[in-house]
Amino acid sequence: MANLARTIQGGFVTLIVIFITGSASAQPQAAPQPTPTTLVRYSFDDDLLDTGPDTFSVFQSGKGSVRLSLVYRFSGYRSVEIRDVPGDGDFPELQGYFPLRSKGKLYLHFAMMTTDAGEELNIALAGPQWFKLRKDGIAFWLKTAGGYLTEISDSMPKKLFAIRAFVWYVVDAAYDIDAGTYDLTIRQEGLERPVADVRGEANAASQPGSQIDKFSFIGDTGTDVSKVVYYVDDVLVAVDEAIVHQPFVAPGRRKLFFDYWLSAQRARATHPEPLPLMCLAELGIGSAETAALRQDGAGELLGQALSGKLATVPDDLPDPSRTILQSVIAWREGARALRGGDAEFALARFDRASQLSPSAPLPQMDAVLALAHLARWDEVDRRLAAILPQWRDDPRLPVALAMIGLARGDLDAVERQLQEGAESRGLLAEEYFLTLLWKGDSARAEAFAESMLAHGSAAERSLWREHLGDAAFLTGDIQRARSYYEASLAQHPRPRSVWLKLSDVYFKLGDLEQERAFRERVYGSLRER
Amino acid sequence: MSRFHAAWLLLLLAFTPQSVFGQDPSAVRLQQWVAGHDVAAIRALGRPVLPKLVQLYEAARDDGFKARVAQTFYELGWESPEAKRALMKDVHTLNHDLRLQVQWALGRVSNDQDVVDTLIANMRSDSNPLFRDKAACALAYDQIHLSEQQKVRLFGALIEALRDDKEDVRRIALQALQIHTGQTKGFDPGASWNDREQKVKVWQTWLAQYKAGL
Repeated sequence: MANLARTIQGGFVTLIVIFITGSASAQPQAAPQPTPTTLVRYSFDDDLLDTGPDTFSVFQSGKGSVRLSLVYRFSGYRSVEIRDVPGDGDFPELQGYFPLRSKGKLYLHFAMMTTDAGEELNIALAGPQWFKLRKDGIAFWLKTAGGYLTEISDSMPKKLFAIRAFVWYVVDAAYDIDAGTYDLTIRQEGLERPVADVRGEANAASQPGSQIDKFSFIGDTGTDVSKVVYYVDDVLVAVDEAIVHQPFVAPGRRKLFFDYWLSAQRARATHPEPLPLMCLAELGIGSAETAALRQDGAGELLGQALSGKLATVPDDLPDPSRTILQSVIAWREGARALRGGDAEFALARFDRASQLSPSAPLPQMDAVLALAHLARWDEVDRRLAAILPQWRDDPRLPVALAMIGLARGDLDAVERQLQEGAESRGLLAEEYFLTLLWKGDSARAEAFAESMLAHGSAAERSLWREHLGDAAFLTGDIQRARSYYEASLAQHPRPRSVWLKLSDVYFKLGDLEQERAFRERVYGSLRER
Repeated sequence: MSRFHAAWLLLLLAFTPQSVFGQDPSAVRLQQWVAGHDVAAIRALGRPVLPKLVQLYEAARDDGFKARVAQTFYELGWESPEAKRALMKDVHTLNHDLRLQVQWALGRVSNDQDVVDTLIANMRSDSNPLFRDKAACALAYDQIHLSEQQKVRLFGALIEALRDDKEDVRRIALQALQIHTGQTKGFDPGASWNDREQKVKVWQTWLAQYKAGL
């Protein structure tokens, strides 16, 4: 087995070299080719087992498990055992992360062995849209079904071969991100010729350019009937170019959790979201329109349109009810698209809503926010100037202007916008605090958090204790940060962020046991049975 | 808030079928779990709980409680011919909540062909666009027990619905196909008949390949 492992691993390296450099005889004068870079390599034999956002997560919230195993291994002395339990409402998962890849080639290599050919297991590469069949979702997908190892290509299952239990298989895939295709070779322990060798297969959902940044090994999905136990070893992901890795700054992460949190907050804040609807008049539905809807029996349809449950207006609905509903649907679709980050589509839908209902102010402001998302500043300024008078007394105007300012990167303007009355407005208060942090003004951020802690409701105190910890952490007062974070955990509505920040705190304090304990509350752990 | 929740539970329990189990404490507890949406506790009882849930459903006098039982079937996701038989009786009910819960639950308790056929019929022909839309949702997300051969039949029916006279039906059929496959094959529900027909043929070719690979 060890010989096979060496042969196959050697073969994999050779495969990469051939793939990247091409045939030596065919291209003797070819320009120097980029060096392949390993993104991920886990033999599970060494101590590189720290879970985290830049390594992998272990999920075992059901009765199943993901453990290191000394019993079976393809190489070295350990592998990972994934054990699913039917009917427990969940599935175990080893989910790994690597830097997002949007172009070029990517190589995946791993060894696997199942103990029951009839039980379902799933293995996939996916992108930012996670494990769904769509662009930037699942790119590469293998599963066992009915005793066969099967690939999902062009959204359909294709049998590769009848899989055998207690036999190691070595999988090598060379994935072309731009073309959305892959070559796949699978070798069986003890056999010289591959048991599967397919070329130019369409990726899982036939989506050229589908990005990838994660891999996953699980039992079954959805049905919760699999009792598979299988083993994975020697996971390797590589690319065909030299890239610079940021070094690990702490176990499992290339940035501190605190920095991930702060930049995620910034990223969220700089992507404007649609404003909440406060009354129907904002969608151009006044008393005359309400009467028309009532007369046409379309009141219920309006409710469905507002809640996103109505995609199209019935053919037989007369005007003006028809136009009103079409406008609401367009605005609703725009709001959903803007929340999802598709600002181009959102802008088109908001403009359509405004066209159908010219007196509606909300689609006009939401269109400005979509333009800010797209960084089309000239249009932002022009349209904003036109609608500003009618929004002057609206309590949502500071929020809208702050979102535009953040998207523009003008933190001073945002601070000015939010400062007045920030203490009396829950969401604005947090945005103001974060703006001070982003500006590096920790002292004022801390003073503001102190004041919010003193005046806030009981429910808000955990949050402001966490933020006091944030300010202390930024000023380097780690002990004080620890005190605030630990105090904030009592009755914190979303403790996950505090656990991770405490992991950073204990890392800074040199207490690696506590660092791991808090990190593993979120990312899980990989240990022997 | 908690007082409101407790009051709501009491109201719901008042309409539940106490007489089905007499004073059986385990049955009363099951009713409370259903009404309180404690699916984890129900799941812990294992599959033997299914006939009891079916009895609760069939004896319920209140559509709201029936909807909660249907929701429980949905979340358990366990196959049950008895549950399917009970739910099918309400697959055309005009009660909104019950109809939606039944449509969603059916595919999670059964992979029988008549479930898919009924949902396809609702998607294409129900007079209420909400029910049409949610039948498509059920076809897209909740047919979890279908074999690959049964999926071929489902996809065939959805592809056929791309030829429907009603644009909203073509749109929701395409959405269901897109959720299953991640693809549209370039089909535009609002395009001309000729363009649509051309893309339907692309879908049919794909389906033939799918079928041939099984």
